[in-house]
Amino acid sequence: MLSHFFLMVLYAFLVSAFFTLLWRRERREQVKLFLQLFLGMVGGGLLVAYLMYPFPQGPPAPIP
Amino acid sequence: MTDPGSSDPRPAPALPPVGNAVGNPILAAVAAFLIPGLGHLYLRRWRRGVAFFLLILISLWVGWDLQGNLYRIVPNEPLSILGTLGAMGMGIPYFLLRWGLGYAGDILSPGYEYGTAFLLTAGLMNWLLVLDALDISRGKKE
Repeated sequence: MLSHFFLMVLYAFLVSAFFTLLWRRERREQVKLFLQLFLGMVGGGLLVAYLMYPFPQGPPAPIP
Repeated sequence: MTDPGSSDPRPAPALPPVGNAVGNPILAAVAAFLIPGLGHLYLRRWRRGVAFFLLILISLWVGWDLQGNLYRIVPNEPLSILGTLGAMGMGIPYFLLRWGLGYAGDILSPGYEYGTAFLLTAGLMNWLLVLDALDISRGKKE
């Protein structure tokens, strides 16, 4: 449960599904909006993560 | 008063109703607040009601499992009021967690920040459901 990526994907899924059901009624539009929101959040999260990669904060994590 | 950038002085026409008004708006809003999805069930939006209930329940359960912070008002911290109002949006589950089960979260838990986001999101989503139930009941939404 503590995987950062899994939690990010789960959060994106829940929020995307919620707003899809809230804002759209047609099945085709629902799928379109869901994919836009879900991929936007997951893709945006990964993009920001890579942008932050060259600027680590704090000491490096221990190698297991 | 008209928009200074607009050349048309006439007021904008009121939007026509999208659907028929159903049920009692106040009852729908209160039901939606108390239990996530109940407002939609009351308005006979069965599938949506069940789906919203499950989505908010999953968010709540994940937040709880991660031992996230269930916001409460902290003296001298005005922003905690906003957090509390947001989290309180989940209705009965908030009060059940806080006073029924004595849940407070665990700041030492590795998932604390994530859990807080899930718990707060559950409350905020339910606030939107309250507004949605109101709109459906008044015929402004389908």
